[in-house]
Amino acid sequence: MLLLAEQVLNGLQYGMMLFLMAAGLTLVFGVMGLINLAHGSLYMVGAFACAAVAAATGSFWLGLAASLAAAAALGALVEIVVIRRLYARDHLDQVLATFALILVFSEGTRWLFGSFPLYLSLPPVLSGAVTLPGGLIYPAFRLAIIVIGVLVALGLFWLITRTRLGIRIRAGEADREMIAALGVDIAKLYTMVFALGAALAGLSGALVGSVQSVQVGMGEPVLILAFVTVVIGGIGSIKGALIGALLVGMTDTLGKALLPGLFARFMEASAATSVGSALASMLIYVLMALVLIWRPTGLYGARA
Amino acid sequence: MPEPILTLSHLSKSFGALKATDDVSLDLRPGEIHALIGPNGAGKSTLIKQIAGEIRPDSGSVTFEGQAIDDLGPADRARLGLARSFQVSSVVPGFTVLQNVMLAVQGASGASFRFIRPALSDRNLTAPALFHIQHSGLDGRETVKAADLAHGERRRLEIAMALAMRPRAFLLDEPMAGMGAEGAHDLTAILAELKSEAPILLVEHDMDAVFALADRISVLVYGKVIATGTVDEIRKNPEVRRSYLGEEA
Amino acid sequence: MRLTGALPNFVVFAALIAVAVIADLTGNPYIVTLATKVAIFGLAGVGLNLALGYGGLVSFGHAAFFGLGGYVTAILASHAASATPVATFPFTMMGTNEMLAIWPFAILVAGFAALVIGALSLRTKGVYFIMVTLAFAQMLYYFAISWPTYGGEDGLSFYVRNTFPGANTFAPLQFFGICATMLAITMVLVALLTQSRFGLALRAAKENETRVIASGIKPFAIRLTAFVLSGMVAGLAGALFADLNRFVSPTMLSWHMSGEIIIFVILGGVGRLAGPIAGAAVFITLEYLLGPISDHWQALLGFLLILIVLFAPKGLMGLALGKRGNA
Repeated sequence: MLLLAEQVLNGLQYGMMLFLMAAGLTLVFGVMGLINLAHGSLYMVGAFACAAVAAATGSFWLGLAASLAAAAALGALVEIVVIRRLYARDHLDQVLATFALILVFSEGTRWLFGSFPLYLSLPPVLSGAVTLPGGLIYPAFRLAIIVIGVLVALGLFWLITRTRLGIRIRAGEADREMIAALGVDIAKLYTMVFALGAALAGLSGALVGSVQSVQVGMGEPVLILAFVTVVIGGIGSIKGALIGALLVGMTDTLGKALLPGLFARFMEASAATSVGSALASMLIYVLMALVLIWRPTGLYGARA
Repeated sequence: MPEPILTLSHLSKSFGALKATDDVSLDLRPGEIHALIGPNGAGKSTLIKQIAGEIRPDSGSVTFEGQAIDDLGPADRARLGLARSFQVSSVVPGFTVLQNVMLAVQGASGASFRFIRPALSDRNLTAPALFHIQHSGLDGRETVKAADLAHGERRRLEIAMALAMRPRAFLLDEPMAGMGAEGAHDLTAILAELKSEAPILLVEHDMDAVFALADRISVLVYGKVIATGTVDEIRKNPEVRRSYLGEEA
Repeated sequence: MRLTGALPNFVVFAALIAVAVIADLTGNPYIVTLATKVAIFGLAGVGLNLALGYGGLVSFGHAAFFGLGGYVTAILASHAASATPVATFPFTMMGTNEMLAIWPFAILVAGFAALVIGALSLRTKGVYFIMVTLAFAQMLYYFAISWPTYGGEDGLSFYVRNTFPGANTFAPLQFFGICATMLAITMVLVALLTQSRFGLALRAAKENETRVIASGIKPFAIRLTAFVLSGMVAGLAGALFADLNRFVSPTMLSWHMSGEIIIFVILGGVGRLAGPIAGAAVFITLEYLLGPISDHWQALLGFLLILIVLFAPKGLMGLALGKRGNA
């Protein structure tokens, strides 16, 4: 039972991390109609910024701040130089140009930092474990990721529904020309939205990099999962991104934890492990397929 | 009285609390123009979409040439000869005039899964297509891209495509929407041409045109048919005058 | 097809043959291998172009079909080498190292995968379609990584190139000839296809779906067929690629592969028959020329791609011919 509870928490933590990624993707698509493959690069840049600054200053917290700042700044720069020329283009051009951005960012990072993974050391307050009610001992840092995810989700909902920026974002989503006619500087709004999404990706990269490792290419598997999340939740919906992220996080974590054991009941152990883990790796895609059969535009996507 | 080509019986469709179509029954008979009028939001487009198969009614049935077509999608209904023309369908801009009409012939003939033989050397496609192009006065323009046609020629192309499908009935949803004054002028000629081929169920805002051209009129208000009859009957109908024409006066 | 339309395609193909033959005569087998790679990637691109260029279906998952074709080849070849059956149920199936026996399997498996993936993905449109095809390909990628029987992450080698009747497949030029022939046959078939009734419906559905439905044609069936045919061609290309390297790995299934196939198509010019060959040739030449100069040649490629997207959206053949693509 404790094991299961631990896996549920792991799934929650994974889901929250995915949400940080998916929120930016879905926002950028919903508001600007842009599919951004380079979102994973911003995640990677956040992780490297955190690692570099933490190593130089000795402060993890400064590193975390740097991840937000670096990803947001790079996001804004890329938006101004390349991305804004793509809003009016078809998705194919967007895919190609942002794929090209990945090549540039990955090689650029490799050139700066080399190919070897970097590791981050956590500050003492987060490096221990916490005993939760019920006796479960759980790493404090993973718990912190869950808390950060919840805070970001609350912040985003507040931003979208309560602030002037949010009203502009929602209006921009509804009608670009109208909002331009209202005198809002649409170019600046788009840059801000893109930088916001980038900052969230950077934060997510720094957090995950702290538990795993920081290396070139780390953003790509996460990007694909974020796509699955966005497709499940429905493009453009923050709420969908949150629900989708939790579904994907839980399905993947629990599948990987439980399937091999399940197969071991009627197969010999080594075969069960390989079949179980192979199938577990496919589980979220099966989930996505099911959602698409049921609702081709995702759980909270606008109906066609 | 001849058998109707198209019969709607007790069609209903709700979107949440809104009854867009409320127990609608009407029919389309051979050789007639049956106009559907009503104020904005009366549910005319929703009704046309249910006939074309683009949305499914909650209840009720559509019969076309004696066959219940409720389970068929829009492409199948089109192939049976229920032609949704103008406005929605338009033309394929990057195709030539000939290719556009060939596409219509191909749809009606049903065979799209032929992979090797060039379509342009398939006389089963080109011969009817050329016939309809000539018939519509577009001969000599076969290799011009639809996007490069003048406004009037484009209209002629749309007629050629509509006729090339060998339709048994036309569904026209505000065919001249956005066309301005010359559109109304076009409408009379186009409807006459189409009517010689198959009966027409017409949704149109221009009351003068409707009263001039329609053989019968049905009035839709809040999703309900409040009256069906000849032009004179509709003009005289007190309920129509009160709930609809009254607004116009 | 008019001659003016066909000529650039012919020139591109002839140039590829000329490069391979001259390289072989002047004793540059490595260049022949590069030309073979161009033919194979070009073939994969011609396949993708059927869905992407003519059908408007932006598949970001064609590596799935390319990789499946490769894995089928490697699995059959490795079982033939070890003389073990591939399957014992429902009937015993042995491996083989005959290309002519392998290709139909590779094509069928890729086609079946395209049928399943296409049937699900074509329920969606636009950006969903891109993400969903990408995700399904990624599913196969992770499956290949975590399935240990055929090498998992390390991939699967077979040490002897498969055989073709009457040819020495180890001679670089002869293997190139096989690949170029398959490419030529496919190009002719695709050229016919795009001009056929089916092609008419497919291209019309790309431009005006509503018109196609109103004409009584179901776009879904047309598109799914195009997607499956497209996947089959990619599967054949994957089979040839496996034989070129005598090795397959999950990399063939990865999304970088999907991205590269798209790049071949777009570099050359979307919806142009020989466009993907020109695109693959440029890509591989760049890799060959820039690779030794800088380890970071991919960054240069990235910059180049961004410039092309922003300033030459019709691709290189479009740039060279100075006009828009053939309809």
